[in-house]
Amino acid sequence: MNRPAERDLIAMAGIAASGLALASLLSSSSARVRPPRWRLAAPGRNRSSNPETVKAARRLNRAAGTLAASVLADSSVEHYRGSFKNKAMYTPLLVSALTLATSLHGTADMRPLAHKARDATYLLAAATGLVGSGFHLYNVGKRVGGFSWQNVFYGAPIGAPMAILLSGLLGFCSERVREAHRTRPRIFRLPAGRAIAAVTGAGLLGTTGEAGLLHFRGAYHNPFMLLPVTLPPIGAALLMSAAGGGPGRTHRFTRWWMRLLTGMGFAGVGFHAYGVSRNMGGWRNWSQNILNGPPLPAPPSFAGLALAGLAALGLMKAHPDA
Amino acid sequence: MMQLHAGATAVSDDPLHAPRACDGRAPDVFRPGGWVPMRQYRESEPVDFAIVGTGAGGGTLACKLAEYGFSVVAFDAGPYFRPLEDFASDESEQTKLYWTDDRIVDGDNPLQLGSNNSGKAVGGSTVHFAMVSLRFRPEWFKSRSMLGYGADWPLDWHEMWSYYAEIEQALKIAGPVTYPWGPPRPRYPYRAHPLNGAARALAKGCEALGIKWTETPLATLSAPRGLARPCVYRGFCVTGCSTNAKQSALVTWIPRAIAAGAEIRDLAMVGRVEVESSGLVSGVHYHRDGRWRFQRARNVVVAGYAIETPRLLLNSATARFPNGLANSSGLVGKNLMTQSNQAVWGRLEQEVRSYKGPPSLAITEHWNYEDRGKDFFGGYSYMSQGPLPQLWANTLFNARGLWGNSLVEAMKDYNHVVGLKIVGEMLPQESNRVTLSEEVDQYGLRIPRITYSWCDNDKRLIDHSLKFMRRALEAVNATDIWIQDDDTCHLNGTARMGSDARSSVVDADCRSWDIPNLWICDGSVFPTVGGANPSLTIQAIACRTADRIRALARRGELEAGSARPSIHRCSIEVQRL
Repeated sequence: MNRPAERDLIAMAGIAASGLALASLLSSSSARVRPPRWRLAAPGRNRSSNPETVKAARRLNRAAGTLAASVLADSSVEHYRGSFKNKAMYTPLLVSALTLATSLHGTADMRPLAHKARDATYLLAAATGLVGSGFHLYNVGKRVGGFSWQNVFYGAPIGAPMAILLSGLLGFCSERVREAHRTRPRIFRLPAGRAIAAVTGAGLLGTTGEAGLLHFRGAYHNPFMLLPVTLPPIGAALLMSAAGGGPGRTHRFTRWWMRLLTGMGFAGVGFHAYGVSRNMGGWRNWSQNILNGPPLPAPPSFAGLALAGLAALGLMKAHPDA
Repeated sequence: MMQLHAGATAVSDDPLHAPRACDGRAPDVFRPGGWVPMRQYRESEPVDFAIVGTGAGGGTLACKLAEYGFSVVAFDAGPYFRPLEDFASDESEQTKLYWTDDRIVDGDNPLQLGSNNSGKAVGGSTVHFAMVSLRFRPEWFKSRSMLGYGADWPLDWHEMWSYYAEIEQALKIAGPVTYPWGPPRPRYPYRAHPLNGAARALAKGCEALGIKWTETPLATLSAPRGLARPCVYRGFCVTGCSTNAKQSALVTWIPRAIAAGAEIRDLAMVGRVEVESSGLVSGVHYHRDGRWRFQRARNVVVAGYAIETPRLLLNSATARFPNGLANSSGLVGKNLMTQSNQAVWGRLEQEVRSYKGPPSLAITEHWNYEDRGKDFFGGYSYMSQGPLPQLWANTLFNARGLWGNSLVEAMKDYNHVVGLKIVGEMLPQESNRVTLSEEVDQYGLRIPRITYSWCDNDKRLIDHSLKFMRRALEAVNATDIWIQDDDTCHLNGTARMGSDARSSVVDADCRSWDIPNLWICDGSVFPTVGGANPSLTIQAIACRTADRIRALARRGELEAGSARPSIHRCSIEVQRL
């Protein structure tokens, strides 16, 4: 088998895995009410100790997994488009696939214990995000014109690796929340719910920046392109306010807004599919236009972050001082 | 999909031999085999405007006048193409877009006609133009009084720059976020395209020489627009865009014109403008479907570009106007200006593949806006190049004399070729002109003789540019550098506008001084050409002319006819069909 065919397979596998995993992640939310029988063997399950922290942790795993699925599919497509010119371009595929698997494991796991392998994977994901950002910055900076509009539009997307960083951070947070069954959930001595809300708010702003830049490149030719640059910053402000506010608030509006952002993230795939159809040859020419048109896997990163926001809010509800 | 194809096959016809725009419909340029309803006018009843030519000048004016409620019939000698089904990725096939009728060229530097400087199709040469959409430097509109050469335009640059903004919006020009030269301009409606290898070489050269460069503002889409798809970087731009990304008159102004009630007549060669005994024009004689016809009109607009416009005016001579129409100044056909189009070529060690994407993705207008360090009047811009293979083989043969094995060897380096080419200002000279020869063409019309010689200033400008571009290529480590010193591009002049009937053919409104219901609206009216591609300026002039015609009509200062609301209602009914 020649190399381009291998690349095709890798990219296809990445997309397929992320899609399947995303579907199972989202369907696993039903596990909260009806634990499936196959997890009877899960050892040391102690649901009475502090079900709320485990529940929040699992929701964070799910958020981290949604982000990882988005990264896996997005980097598969985009790095395939870049012909995996640099061997390092395989890294985000491997790491996000691992993060995704870890998140699936965490979402299914009812135990109130941190898991060493999960911790390690999430830290690896965060590190990959940081290093990837460095690579992407280097790629943009070395092009003629340096950090010009031309190069931030068409060079490696500077903000993209941040998604795997956020996935790692959220996953790491989930482990801290999960192991805090006897104490108040803390992350680096900060109240966990508020810390996660703040990280998620910052993530929403960063992702807005990425969407804003690329939608500006598309000249906002469709008014719906304004949604992901207007709705998420409001969500970020609501989360920040929740993070900074005192205990006892219900955050009903913020919660509702996070659900709106989750919906927007998944609806974005539909809008991007429409965008693909508006390129020459439409979906009949899918092999070219999926690479050319708006990235199908990108919008769900908003959903991943909004799910994390919901988890943080849930944690704060259960533990007013978290 | 199957249905679409079946439909396309069913209506396939030969646009080169039978008119398509008839029976109340015109080709739908956005759908293979598709049609749009089109209003048609009787020949015996005068329309408000008969427009000769449907390119950047005539196409734009037809749209604007129809949208203002005038009855409009626009004629084009060429076919009415649907780019999606009629254009091939084949340079030879696409020569069908060029005006290749007989012409005679002479002078010290005879022009090479028939490709980049002509168009014979509905949409004119915008169907195959390189889409470079530049504004004129403000001072050029007063080049005589401010820069000391050429002639002043009777137009104010502020007004022209506001029309540029209108055109840039109408064509969704894809340009840089900020433009490095000249007064501030509004942001281009669409973002610039990614640079290709050739453009990056231009950029590196400019940075090495310490001058500014930018992405070229281009009339090709970088994002979807209605039924038009964004550019796929196919690279066949100058042989006709088959995806409709190119915002030619054919896919922008003409569909708007038809929707507003204008009629387009394709394969309709206008041979003579008729003058009544009153001294006013009364319509046009045109050849279509194998015979000569006559369309009555209250006003006639000639928009046939710098050769066919003077040719038609000269061919329409009568006893009353023995030297041709609108020619009391004797300037019809004179002051023809081409633009110098010299190039420096070289070879880069790495692959360039310059043919990918639009040919001129990067530009520097440094020597348009910088007057210090010049030993010549005028300015030039230079752009990255992407010659298609057949053109490149021809260039190697014509400019370097390569043939046989040496040509084959040179073509093997095609992927490594890098080049820079100027669009340079040539000065107006009365001796550069279009006259009529005694020979006649297939319609029995006298063919034009085009006389062209460079002046010393032209040569100094070319010399300066070639030296500078050689340095730019040397700065990016190009090897085997050689000079192509004989190319020219756009054609302008031959019916210049001015503020004095003795020294110009038309006034600032493109209305002829001699015959108040005869107008000229294309590149012919340029008093000077500047160092920028003219299409945006031609369209800006057309938009301004339409606004002026509407204003004159409201004041009752048109010779005949005026905006009639009844016509607008009719056109709306047509759209509902």
